[in-house]
Amino acid sequence: MFDFSLVRYLPKDANIPFIKFRWIAMGISVLGIIVSIFLFSTRNLNYGIDFKGGTVLEFSIGADPQNELENIRILGNNLGFGGNVGLQSIARPADGTGKKPDDLRMSIPKQTAPEGAESDDQAQTDALNKAEAALAEAYPNFELMSTQVLGTKVSGELKKKGAMAVILALMMVLIYIWFRFEWQFGAGAVAALTHDVILTIGVFSFTALEFNLSIVAAILTIVGYSLNDTVIVYDRIRENLRKYKKKPLKEVLDLSINDTLSRTIMTSVTTLLALLALYIWGGVGLHGFAFAMIWGVLVGTYSSIFVAAPILLLLGVKRGGLQK
Amino acid sequence: MLHFSRVKIFFILGAVVLGLLFSLPNALSPSVRDNLPPPLPKGTLNLGLDLQGGAHFLLDVDVKDGVETKLKIESSDIRRSLRLERVRTSKIALNEAKDAVMVTFKSAADEEAGLPILQARSEPIDESQVGSGQTLDIEKVSEHRYKVRLTEDMVTAMTERTINQSIKVLRDRIDPNGTMELTLAKEGNDRILLQVPGADNEQVKIIEDRIKKTAKLSFHEVKVASAAVTNYCVQEDVCPPGTAAYLDDQRGYMLLIERPILTGSDLKRANPGLKQQTNAPIVNFTYNTAGANKFCDFTAEHVEEPFAIVLDGNIITAPNILSPICGGSGYIEGNFTNKSAKELSLLLNAGALPAKLRISYKTQVGPEMGKDSIRAGKVASMLGLVGVALFMWISYGLRFGTIANTALAINIVLIAGALSIMGATLTLPGIAGIILTIGMAVDANVLIFERIREEAALGRGPINAVDTGYRLSIAPILDANITTLIAALTLYFVGSGPIRGFAVTLAIGIVMSVFTAVVVARLMTSVWLRRARPKTLPI
Repeated sequence: MFDFSLVRYLPKDANIPFIKFRWIAMGISVLGIIVSIFLFSTRNLNYGIDFKGGTVLEFSIGADPQNELENIRILGNNLGFGGNVGLQSIARPADGTGKKPDDLRMSIPKQTAPEGAESDDQAQTDALNKAEAALAEAYPNFELMSTQVLGTKVSGELKKKGAMAVILALMMVLIYIWFRFEWQFGAGAVAALTHDVILTIGVFSFTALEFNLSIVAAILTIVGYSLNDTVIVYDRIRENLRKYKKKPLKEVLDLSINDTLSRTIMTSVTTLLALLALYIWGGVGLHGFAFAMIWGVLVGTYSSIFVAAPILLLLGVKRGGLQK
Repeated sequence: MLHFSRVKIFFILGAVVLGLLFSLPNALSPSVRDNLPPPLPKGTLNLGLDLQGGAHFLLDVDVKDGVETKLKIESSDIRRSLRLERVRTSKIALNEAKDAVMVTFKSAADEEAGLPILQARSEPIDESQVGSGQTLDIEKVSEHRYKVRLTEDMVTAMTERTINQSIKVLRDRIDPNGTMELTLAKEGNDRILLQVPGADNEQVKIIEDRIKKTAKLSFHEVKVASAAVTNYCVQEDVCPPGTAAYLDDQRGYMLLIERPILTGSDLKRANPGLKQQTNAPIVNFTYNTAGANKFCDFTAEHVEEPFAIVLDGNIITAPNILSPICGGSGYIEGNFTNKSAKELSLLLNAGALPAKLRISYKTQVGPEMGKDSIRAGKVASMLGLVGVALFMWISYGLRFGTIANTALAINIVLIAGALSIMGATLTLPGIAGIILTIGMAVDANVLIFERIREEAALGRGPINAVDTGYRLSIAPILDANITTLIAALTLYFVGSGPIRGFAVTLAIGIVMSVFTAVVVARLMTSVWLRRARPKTLPI
């Protein structure tokens, strides 16, 4: 029979002194956080229409648009939208019918309302119609694939709601872990999660990838994933603390991380496999999401080992409290 | 831990079979699906608008506009009831902000007589409900001067009523035949969600047009006034009491008595037609009984005088009354084309929108694009699944790899089944949620297998190791998944639209993966252990 299994070749008694590297790890994490906050406050995020308001239209001109990009850009800028229009070429996913010409995505900055109007919503719709008419006139084979129009009010609300979701989730998690473990564990988990969230926002600020609602969903999923990892490690720490009452905390932490290491690696690999498939074949719509998740899985795995565990050393764990 | 009673096995297998049954329709072609015998479920996943194409709107109800309209009526009613009791006022008009009626009495005596009348105008908002708030808030601002406002409760109640009415009107306007599977619902406090599956560009333009027109039709008495008076009213906003200036495209501004003789709600039915002599497009209409009587009385009293028909604030026609009109029907003529006459009839039949609606969010996805997304989602999930399955086989060998992968397959079937039962909507982020679940679902199995390996390494025999492994893994699996579930639920309650679809798939995925790993996979392992009685474990 095929009695081959790769896990048997993983070292059974891994004994990597993770805790020894805690100062280096802390240096890396703190540096990462500082850089992220710095990037966020100087460059901010490249907010998508969900959070910024404005108009996006995706269309094809029925021919290879690469030679026309510049003309379309000029056409868009001449429509007088106060600021430059964004133009992006988006590859259509392969569908077996041979190569289709790429679609284009034009984003029009948010329009302010004319004097006297109460809301700028109508101005966005007008801008969309204007751009559509101009494009249809210039390109007879123009075909509109999708449009999105968002006024200021809704986009502001979405931004607030997104931030609230992340903060609320963190608080609920803190309470749950506090309830199931000790407060030090709750604090450690939330520190690790906050670390992941900040670094994810940092990487989006650095790459200037579009930050939209699905990225907020990704961040919450990262929170969920990283938490999953952290809780597994914590659970083992709790078990080992009960088992080895005399062992120094430092050694218990190392032992627990090593005990769960093969599981950590296995799960990260399977999740990354699925996410890579999503990133490569999942189509443009999910690119940003898949990218954020891949980054989040890497950061989340790192943080459960190098942030969540060492923090317990910093906060100290009352071992008596765990002996139920 | 490894013993399963027959009852338990029955329920576990039952759950899996049910999941299969409910997810089955998704895999069948529509024709096969429709011919399934009755006890078999036919429900499939609904595709979200981002996958099947269509338009999605969020409409803001213009509460301010509604308040203004209500106050205008209120101010004219106040004027009438005060005049009826011979109370003298120097001015009754809306304030600058258009959020209150300002009433100024002539003298202290007038004030004393008028105040009770004013106060009597405020009524309970909902008479059937004890203790419900009043409609008006009356406040003295200076000598003989009162500010009449709608209470906050009233504005809330009005907004609610406006939204419900608007939804009804919109449905009649956009989908008069009831074939479009519209979603029209209240969202938040002052918003309406409108989804039109499969709408293309042209349809979206027509729909937008129908949303934007309030179609407020009213018939007014014309106040004959000199050009100077009219101009003063237009420019300085000081008009003869009870009148306002309206624009006529051909004749310029005219003064009309604000209180309408008839409104759109007095109409029974409108139809497009052609005028006999000229063949010009017109809109024919019939009044309801009350409307017919009102118009008959009015025209009898005002023969040889003009009256005006106003649509959305503009005069469309102002004919002279030649003789009393008592037939209960009439027509509107203006600069109509066949198309615009048809459109106006449709709007009049659906009724006027109680307040202006603004499109504050709009997305439209072409059907082609949705198909591309589904195709890409299918490819990505198949390849992700194959990758994960291969990796599990390589890592845990044939025996345990198969157990984990069977659990994974059952997991996916159960997710599809659960989503179909719930009638949940599959969105683009939802697809991402499923693919992500594929990656994360094996986690619980990995955790258990690793624990079993550990226990075996400590010298336990196979059965003991498997038993201990499962027992000790349950706590961390539950802790880890409950916390993730908390994140998913938060996402569901705070998120909106497609994000909710993602949260639902994620949450169901979490629950199902725990079930398949802790229960289904354990059953498989125990069956195998009892049959094979292995000396060592193949992991």
